[in-house]
Amino acid sequence: MIQHVADMDYRPPPGMGGWLPVEATIVNIQPENFNTRTFTLRFVDESLCESYRFEPGQFNMLFVPGVGEAAISISSSPYQIGALDHTIRMVGAVTRGIDRIGVGGIVGVRGPFGRGWPLHKLAGKDVIIVGGGIGLAPLRPLIHWLLRHREQCRRVVLLYGCRSPEDRLYAAELEAWSGRSDLDVLVTVDNADEHWTGPVGVVTNLLRRIKVNAEQTVVFVCGPRVLNRAAAWNFLQLHVPPAQVYVSLERNMNCGFGRCGHCQYGKHFVCRDGPVFCFADIADIFAKEEI
Amino acid sequence: MSQTSAGDQKYFLPRAGLEPLVGILRQRGYTVLAPTRRDEIIALAPVESADQIARGVHDHQDGGRYRLTQADPEVMFEYGPGADSPKRYLFPPELPLVELRVRGNRFIPTSQPPAIAQYAFLGIRACELAAIKVQDRVFGLEGQDTLCADAAEYYRRTRRRALLIAVNCTRPGGTCFCASMGTGPAATEGFDLSLTELRDGFLLTVGSQAGAALGAELDLRAPTSAEEGLAEMKLAAARAHMPRHLDTRGLKERLEQTIDDPNWERVAARCLSCGNCTMVCPTCFCFTVSDSSGLTDGVYGRTRRWESCFSHQFSYVAGSGPVRSTIAARYRHWLRHKLCTWQDQFGVSGCVGCGRCITWCPVGIDLTEEAQRLGRHVPGAGAVPIPKAGGTKEALP
Repeated sequence: MIQHVADMDYRPPPGMGGWLPVEATIVNIQPENFNTRTFTLRFVDESLCESYRFEPGQFNMLFVPGVGEAAISISSSPYQIGALDHTIRMVGAVTRGIDRIGVGGIVGVRGPFGRGWPLHKLAGKDVIIVGGGIGLAPLRPLIHWLLRHREQCRRVVLLYGCRSPEDRLYAAELEAWSGRSDLDVLVTVDNADEHWTGPVGVVTNLLRRIKVNAEQTVVFVCGPRVLNRAAAWNFLQLHVPPAQVYVSLERNMNCGFGRCGHCQYGKHFVCRDGPVFCFADIADIFAKEEI
Repeated sequence: MSQTSAGDQKYFLPRAGLEPLVGILRQRGYTVLAPTRRDEIIALAPVESADQIARGVHDHQDGGRYRLTQADPEVMFEYGPGADSPKRYLFPPELPLVELRVRGNRFIPTSQPPAIAQYAFLGIRACELAAIKVQDRVFGLEGQDTLCADAAEYYRRTRRRALLIAVNCTRPGGTCFCASMGTGPAATEGFDLSLTELRDGFLLTVGSQAGAALGAELDLRAPTSAEEGLAEMKLAAARAHMPRHLDTRGLKERLEQTIDDPNWERVAARCLSCGNCTMVCPTCFCFTVSDSSGLTDGVYGRTRRWESCFSHQFSYVAGSGPVRSTIAARYRHWLRHKLCTWQDQFGVSGCVGCGRCITWCPVGIDLTEEAQRLGRHVPGAGAVPIPKAGGTKEALP
């Protein structure tokens, strides 16, 4: 009997509900592309390293003293105990601050927050994972989970798109995944270079290359807004039921538990009710502007 | 005074009994917060004597307008709520949460948790009791949401210690619509004591054990039937003369269909997006925790401040800018949250009908008017159509 991470007796580590984040050391920084790096964090408190659990798709609030906090998806395998990866694009004060701290320095962590990918919906299904750009980060724990529980579902397909070959996240890992027989990986880029032999174009174009068994398929999407929309609509057009399409959304978060109000999306708090949403639950607002 | 079920016990408190009431509360260590006249508005402020409570004034409130005028000097509470509400004290506009130093690889807290005050609210209105009840749910007073409850510690502890002495409204303000929202003008629950002003004193109702204990120390007598009748008449008159009305029947369902309503643009043409409505609203709870650093002492602070969804950067996506870039979108978010999605989130309406957002709107936008206009004759509003199989690219958003 496989125990889902989601089913484990999960409780937030002590102090995570308050406003004093817990300390974590940056133990490694892996450059991904020109503005994105993967930071591996290890809690200073050893017992926390052992007890901390998260669900694929959840996020942490990372804290830089005096600067602020940013919501960052956890991008490591849920089975990698003691070290948490966060793939960060350096576009804001906090994320640049984390970069400045460097290996050996400490950041603060509150979390994990939010609802992750619905792992209990996968049994016996085809799983199609669609990622765009840095949207692969919250999907990576899901892929690791799936590879561990591969017998639960039928086909697993990863469709990933990014701007150029050198913008790919986890390039070495993508190569390794491509070589596996139990995982179909298709990567497309907007701008190819002279070494690129794969597809060129937007990620939804990859849909033409796969067979979608609509009723039996569960779709997980995470990317920029335009990709989320295009991907969700494409799968709906292929008759995948709205209740089997899941999208991870992004919005600024301040508290992480659905009270500060910043990340409201219609009646939802993205931090608490998301970041992973079932399309059926947001169908009334998904295509609307400025919600 | 004998103990019977809360709410049933009615007494008469002579006007002169207000001063001993304030005295007893102060003796018990309460900071007594009561409506005072300050800068020509009614403001909740600490008082040391009943003499400091605003009296002999009437308020005149309308969209974008607030004035006080002289009234019978013997009359005490014939004014509606001012800009302030108990929210300012239970959920302060600015609250230092924690201060810390970095020592090696540890964050060392250098501050004590904020001190918990002991407040006695004297003279708050039925709509304000209702607003407190709303915020109780938002901040998880019952502790049903542990993550939230830890972080809302200050609210919960201040709230549990607070004593609520309500005054029933016998003269509603010009922008009030509590009768529509079912929250007033008379307090029916959630108070320790409530007062209805009569000519030479108050009809006092006991609403809790704490209220009964307090009442036992006051110079009370049984009310005459005439006094009880008069109080009822005054409240019935207040209900009948409620200046504004909001039809709440089917309101939530109607507002759910208003995302594409053309009226948002109409309001936006007047709305300044100043955020006054959110600041004076007794239920609005949005906040931002911001960080600061002491340049010389190495102490980092984390401070919680009220935030308004009318500010441009309230909601954004990192790297791609504000989510609600137009005023129409921000007003839509605020009004739909207040009257519609709040119910999905917390099981109650976010509006208690106090009318503050109307009075303190610099251009006098009237929530009740706008809400009535919305969701009528909008063809095609509602859910995104699920595309049919074989649909064309043009059908994509």
